[in-house]
Amino acid sequence: MTEPLNDADELALLKGGDQAAFARLVKAHHRALLALARPIVGESEAVEVVQTAWIKAHAALKDFEGRAALRSWLSRIVINEARMMLRQRKREVFLEDLQPEGAEPFADRFRGNGHWGAPPVNWHADSPDSLLTREELADCLSALLDSLPSNQRALLELRDSDGLPFDEVCNMLGISASNARVLLHRARARLFALVDHFEETGEC
Amino acid sequence: MLKCRDVPAEAEALLDGELSLGRRMALRLHLFMCGNCRRYLRQLRQLLGAVPHMHGDASDEEVDKVLSHLHDHSH
Repeated sequence: MTEPLNDADELALLKGGDQAAFARLVKAHHRALLALARPIVGESEAVEVVQTAWIKAHAALKDFEGRAALRSWLSRIVINEARMMLRQRKREVFLEDLQPEGAEPFADRFRGNGHWGAPPVNWHADSPDSLLTREELADCLSALLDSLPSNQRALLELRDSDGLPFDEVCNMLGISASNARVLLHRARARLFALVDHFEETGEC
Repeated sequence: MLKCRDVPAEAEALLDGELSLGRRMALRLHLFMCGNCRRYLRQLRQLLGAVPHMHGDASDEEVDKVLSHLHDHSH
């Protein structure tokens, strides 16, 4: 995995137009940006949206002030491009149904008295990085991300993957804060339940 | 009193920086007494720390494609 690129030296190279540094930037963030565009514009348009976003980012990098993390800055460019594409194609549906549906994902893990009935198992991983070093688990997680409803996916990408402020995410997606909290909780709970199950059984 | 059932929502609010002092104290008190919930919070923190890296690096082919589009665009 590539090291984070937003340290001062790398940023100076990027702002000075260094092509190798730009290639490293693309390598580190391209897949995450595709994952962000996909739930909003769909699989087939996501590549085009992100490609255009890279062209805009390349032109704007010299003015990047470093007030936000690079990933957050790039995500905003992708979201703008995605919106522009939807507008041009006169597509109105931004995301599928935004109302949270179904049961609370952890409901069956608690007893009637509010205590854990099925508490989380003890995970082997002792850091975020070591969670992802096991290939099978990384594959399980990526399959789950693909299967989440698009509204949950978009929220998880913007908030937890790209680190944008909660209020900004709600504005971008045109969703109320209370709905966003429920949807984000569902997405996180499903990820948690998957890792927990994997730690216990070695399977997705 | 906070119940274990309330902890997932409170833990997320804590990690999102949205927990008031009072709710933070109530959560801390519960965690002090409850090993299951301490484990839940520790592992949730790990999981959310991993999310930004979950997509991995792009392949060299993907990077080349982006760069060649960029090159075409600027000429």
